[in-house]
Amino acid sequence: MMLKRLLLTLTLLLPAVTARAEELRLVEVLSSPERTETLKRLVTGFEARHPGTHVEITSLAWGSAFEKLATMVAAGDIPDVVEMPDRWLSLYAGNGQLESLEPYLARWPETQGLNDRALTVARSVADTAYMLPYGFYLRALYYNKAVFRQAGIAEPPKTLEELRADAARIAQLPGKSGYCLRGGPGGLNGWVMFGASIAGGNAFFHEDGTSTLNDPGWVAGTSWLIDLYQKGLAPKDSVNWGFNEVVAGFYTGACAMVDQDPDALIALKARMKAEDFGVAPWPKGPNGKAYPTLGFAGWSIFKRSTHKDLAWDLVVALNDPAGNLAWNQQTGALPIYTAAAHDPLYAGAIYQGWFAELADPDVVPTLMPTYLPGFAYFADSLVVRSSQQALLGQISPTTMNKQWAAYLTKARRKQAEGVKP
Amino acid sequence: MSRALALKLEPYFYAAPSLLLIAAIMLVPLVTGLSYAFHDLILLDPLSGDFVGLDHFREMLDDDGFWTALRNTVVWTAVSVALQFTFGLILALLLNRPFPGRGLVQALVFLPWAVPGFLSGLTWAWLFNPVIGPLPHWLHGLGLLATPENILSDPYLALWGPIAANVWWGIPFFAITLLAALQSIPKDIYEAAAMDGAGPLLRFRRVTLPLLAPTIAITVMLRTVWVANFAELIVVMTKGGPADATQILSSYIFTLAFQRLDFGYASAVAAVLLLLLLAYAAAVMVLRHAMTERA
Amino acid sequence: MNKTATHIIGARVLHALALAAFVAFALFPLFWLLKVSLTPDDLMYGEGVRLWPSRVTLDHYGAVLRHSQFPLFFRNSLIVSAATGLLATAAASAAGYAFSRFRFRGKAWVVGVMLISQMFPLVIIVAPIFRLLAPLGLTNSLTGLVLVYTAFNTPFAAFLMQSFFEAIPKDLEEAAMMDGATRFQALRRVILPLTLPGLAATGGFVFTAAWSELLFSLMLNSSTAVSTFPAGLLGFVSKFSVDFGQMMAAGVLALLPVGAFFLLIQRYLVQGLTAGAVKG
Repeated sequence: MMLKRLLLTLTLLLPAVTARAEELRLVEVLSSPERTETLKRLVTGFEARHPGTHVEITSLAWGSAFEKLATMVAAGDIPDVVEMPDRWLSLYAGNGQLESLEPYLARWPETQGLNDRALTVARSVADTAYMLPYGFYLRALYYNKAVFRQAGIAEPPKTLEELRADAARIAQLPGKSGYCLRGGPGGLNGWVMFGASIAGGNAFFHEDGTSTLNDPGWVAGTSWLIDLYQKGLAPKDSVNWGFNEVVAGFYTGACAMVDQDPDALIALKARMKAEDFGVAPWPKGPNGKAYPTLGFAGWSIFKRSTHKDLAWDLVVALNDPAGNLAWNQQTGALPIYTAAAHDPLYAGAIYQGWFAELADPDVVPTLMPTYLPGFAYFADSLVVRSSQQALLGQISPTTMNKQWAAYLTKARRKQAEGVKP
Repeated sequence: MSRALALKLEPYFYAAPSLLLIAAIMLVPLVTGLSYAFHDLILLDPLSGDFVGLDHFREMLDDDGFWTALRNTVVWTAVSVALQFTFGLILALLLNRPFPGRGLVQALVFLPWAVPGFLSGLTWAWLFNPVIGPLPHWLHGLGLLATPENILSDPYLALWGPIAANVWWGIPFFAITLLAALQSIPKDIYEAAAMDGAGPLLRFRRVTLPLLAPTIAITVMLRTVWVANFAELIVVMTKGGPADATQILSSYIFTLAFQRLDFGYASAVAAVLLLLLLAYAAAVMVLRHAMTERA
Repeated sequence: MNKTATHIIGARVLHALALAAFVAFALFPLFWLLKVSLTPDDLMYGEGVRLWPSRVTLDHYGAVLRHSQFPLFFRNSLIVSAATGLLATAAASAAGYAFSRFRFRGKAWVVGVMLISQMFPLVIIVAPIFRLLAPLGLTNSLTGLVLVYTAFNTPFAAFLMQSFFEAIPKDLEEAAMMDGATRFQALRRVILPLTLPGLAATGGFVFTAAWSELLFSLMLNSSTAVSTFPAGLLGFVSKFSVDFGQMMAAGVLALLPVGAFFLLIQRYLVQGLTAGAVKG
């Protein structure tokens, strides 16, 4: 009875809905109350410039955003514009879900202002721009100055050997540990940074398409980190730590060093005194080079959107120099425009660590192979499980690296087969 | 419609609303969901969807993750239900006889049932975290833990965390059902047994237990099936880790479906779980039938 | 004589102690929930292990009530749970009545169907249900949730209601029907008033279940306008921090209605199940 009445009401409403002015659907996935506020402000400006257009913002909680968006899209509930993290790009672009932005970029005046990196990452899948990045996340070393002082260490470590030595000294202090290891979800970046730095190179694949992760250098790298954990230089619990636990471990002083992106500042500034923590460039490996990972996120337009041109206008409103700056004040990401590096937002002392990294020729920002099909599963499931097994001593580092190499080689082969129409 | 026909159809009219709703919302999707088990279905991949017959089931035989999850499911279910039942029975026995303040006490001990699963998972996760909760320190003080560590990070102990939360949450269910069953046993039977000289323990074994048996059987069966499918606590407290130590079949299905986006394989595992539970339920029914036949 | 008296006192003391242990066990996590909700942020980790914070604050409650979407989530949960409670109880009463009073062809099948619906992990029907409801416009809506929750809860509610009906002798309707009433009229005027406690208990049970449901609320509804409080609670876990104080405060607030409701109806659950158990 109720269903019948409901269906009737729906059919009556439908014409009314379609008769309304243009409605765009925008989905954000790295949501926080502050980001949503900024988004609303930018959107209001956009709506004012396009009378008759209404933008509906859906904010998904990050913890469940992946499965929610996938379910929505698979069932045909397609938004127009979506916030696209680097890890998801290969999934959506590779399955033909995203619109190519090349024609729009070709006629957009601001395209020349984008720095090289921005365009490179935008084109990471099939050499076509399936997204427009809004910022970069470069890892650096956060260290707890107060705990360092307590342990009698004056300077943050400049090499990995120093990092290990410092961690050992800090672990002597009661109730403190050296390194906030991220053994749980999201830990892949840490493994790559240590692995690449010890291996002395950040190539993921050989010329023939097989993965390098099986090579002795990388195995030595992962063994190094596993050894750090097993010798007690990272908290015992950290085998299961995700982002929130790692950051909490850092600001409570449980562990004194952590690798993180600029956006961790948001949580830390609220809970730590400015003089108690610092950001240093990522320590160098035995060959004198450091390989901090570089992540990115941006905006994409779905191919099945019915308002693509309008959606592009929305992306422009969010991502033109003015919008991008306003947005990045909330995201803490590094800018995509060459000119923005001089903006006062980035002049503060705390950002110096990252800009020092970018200026140092021996620091090689490393892009994760997010363009590989199945990368999201690799990073969020396979690596988590196998790395936990390795940390707990259930499998050897050699076995773990072999599993990773096998998966990546297979993914690389799949990628060579190309993007689906 | 003739009166006779109307009378004959009467029960169907009463049962119809429920049946239609369940059929539409649960059974049709269930059949759809299970059919995925025979197809290669990767969410978001428009080219997937080919029929693959029993491939997923063959894949399952070689899948370590599946066997680990199966083993964990058995441990999780057996231990949770056994503890819930035991403590629920004790509580029911304690509440069976009237005493001053019984109403209040009863209301308080049944309260955990009203707490949403994930909220109790979060709270217990906090209780077990040595930085912000007292339990590790108390366990250490009692000599049960060598150091006040977080058992949720220890692959050998991690499952006990969600089990504790599950027991806390599930005792009221058994207590309520068993109390009701206890209170339905006529007092004269007890009196007769007491007059024959039977002490409380003997009375329990010879009178209470046999009369409770049918209720126990059904309640335990329902609860076992329900607990086997209950992944919320585990997902909230440990996410199946560390290293799959707390992964049970239903949380594994969730991972397969929504992280690997492999709906085909996930549905195959779900089909196996459903089969196992059906077999279990059938076995219980047969046993109960046999027991009541004898009695 | 003395020995028996000591025995009795001893038994009573043991009885009381055991019950006290159960009460403490039941209430301790709830107490902890309350304690965290009253702990100020800066003491959250530092004083984590203390039984009571050195400084108590109502800030989290204020933030939740004034600055978050929580009142909206609460209202949505109330609407969905109440509607589900009513609908499921109504449908379940009809079905339970049918099971109790009639023997009909296919009864075993119907019971079997209801049993099976309780036996599989709901995770595998998330996508099919989404696909089913999306074209009907029932995703991202409270109505859709009510439909889904009603379907999920009706089977167990039907078994409960059957048990309550079993306690009422069939002769009562027969008498009313012989006086000229139809069965339905007899049901409404004679039987239902007698099963009021049972209805209340079942309704309360379903309300509690719907109130706690997380998976479908999360997956079927995306906009905050139609989120229920479990999904809303997860929103306190952002990518950047977990606001435990506010989350626990929201949790306490959300527990109040369902806790109170449950406290009231649990007595009827026992009563009704007792009566039913005699027959069934």
